[in-house]
Amino acid sequence: MSQMLSPDMTIAAEAVTKAKIEVKNLNFYYGQSKALKDITLSLPERSVTAFIGPSGCGKSTLLRVFNRIYELYPKQTAEGQVLLDGQNILDRSQDLNLLRTKIGMVFQKPTPFPMSIYENIAFGVRLYEKISKAEMDGRVEQALKRAALWTEVKDKLNASGLSLSGGQQQRLCIARTVAVKPEVILLDEPASALDPLSTAKIEELIDELQADYTIVIVTHNMQQAARVSKQTAFMYLGELVEFDRTEKIFTSPREKRTQDYITGRFG
Amino acid sequence: MSTAASLHQSRKRKNGVMMTLCVISAGIGLAWLALILGALLYKGLAGVSLSVFTEMTPPPGDAGGLLNAIYGSIVMTIIGIIVGTPIGVLAGTYMAEYGRFSKLTTVVRFINDILLSAPSIIIGLFVYELMVRPMGHFSAIAGAVALAILVIPVVVRTTEDMLNLVPNALREAGTAIGAPRWVVIRSVAYRAALSGIVTGILLAIARISGETAPLLFTALNNQFWSSNLNAPMASLPVTIFQFALSPYEEWQQLAWTGALIITLTVLALSIFARSLTGRREDK
Repeated sequence: MSQMLSPDMTIAAEAVTKAKIEVKNLNFYYGQSKALKDITLSLPERSVTAFIGPSGCGKSTLLRVFNRIYELYPKQTAEGQVLLDGQNILDRSQDLNLLRTKIGMVFQKPTPFPMSIYENIAFGVRLYEKISKAEMDGRVEQALKRAALWTEVKDKLNASGLSLSGGQQQRLCIARTVAVKPEVILLDEPASALDPLSTAKIEELIDELQADYTIVIVTHNMQQAARVSKQTAFMYLGELVEFDRTEKIFTSPREKRTQDYITGRFG
Repeated sequence: MSTAASLHQSRKRKNGVMMTLCVISAGIGLAWLALILGALLYKGLAGVSLSVFTEMTPPPGDAGGLLNAIYGSIVMTIIGIIVGTPIGVLAGTYMAEYGRFSKLTTVVRFINDILLSAPSIIIGLFVYELMVRPMGHFSAIAGAVALAILVIPVVVRTTEDMLNLVPNALREAGTAIGAPRWVVIRSVAYRAALSGIVTGILLAIARISGETAPLLFTALNNQFWSSNLNAPMASLPVTIFQFALSPYEEWQQLAWTGALIITLTVLALSIFARSLTGRREDK
């Protein structure tokens, strides 16, 4: 489907920023079944891109290719190219752990590690950096401030991460991701398990973070995509149907299927 | 209307019958336990004194204690746990983490379940052939090995089960932050499953501290103090077995006391294990 897109739809061409991630002819398989069909798109740097589409359309699958987390499971394979700053991350020689320090991920359900709030953040930092206690304290504070969680937890950094509320846990996960200084942050329906207030907080956070990070968000919530993203990709049945500026997708989509989906006629 | 009412009546009756049967069955189960514990306390407590813990097992007709048997039980249990636990935990880790999707795991799990329910006397005979016969004599170390073999399947099973309960999302989160697999297992999965794994180890201790059959063929018994691992060693279960069957009153009394000591130890371990599991469920 992507080959049907007209040239002016490649965002990178019109956007001021360069492409951070370029996906070229990506196919993805769960065993024999093909979940992504010839996806080509490029995600601009320091900007929020949303993937929308009905359940099972492949948006999460696409996200999970970017940090190759799918490799935890057997029989999941990706073909094609995903270039991060021009480097193909699907290359066999790619060091996965290093890749994942550059591309952070936040999941649908909050997943704090079974350790203290402080340790939740220090854990990732310690993996690749040897820093003093004082520096680590600074890093933890900085990350928690970045995730707008500092004022709520600064007096109980030694409490278990599991003792926080759902919304706080999710912000802790964002703090943990930010603390290892990634370049890209992948958000897999980060607010779908949260109440509206926590969701608003997460969205504000995304808005602030895009100054420094390339952000990709998968969401079921079209309003959310419209609120937080600069460009939106609509996917359907493993195909990329349309990819454009968010405004364009939600006001005058090119494809009928996009139109149908955003107006709620299916999905 | 009348059909509905009579249906209701008959259901109520059936419910009453079922509930009575359940309560009676539960009562019967508990009654035996209470009787056993009561008999143990009544007969065992009569023989509890300081000398039980300070004197050796006596010759027939003499007063004495159980010190060498208690010591032997503790030593062989500790060695059994030290040898069996790492093997069990590592095997369980392989099955739940590295080999989650492999055929080998299915095979190992099946064999492990057989081992789990194997009569312990067979383990004793196995170690007898493996160690006692080649060495030419019974020894504490052979006893400890037999106990270790009993520990392994218990720990394998609980470790695998507990690690399987750790949500995959947590592993993905650890991986997504750039942690290598072994770090994810050590720092995230083990930590999340810790209380369950420890519970499994405690249950293994409880299981082997009462085993008699595997020790009969391996450590045998020793009426005197011996801390030599290469020689026969006394243990509480074997001593109870021998003393309880004897015609001597002093020995019979010591057997009751020994049985009480084992039971209370196992009870304490079980309660401790329960409290660990309970704490996990609270979260």
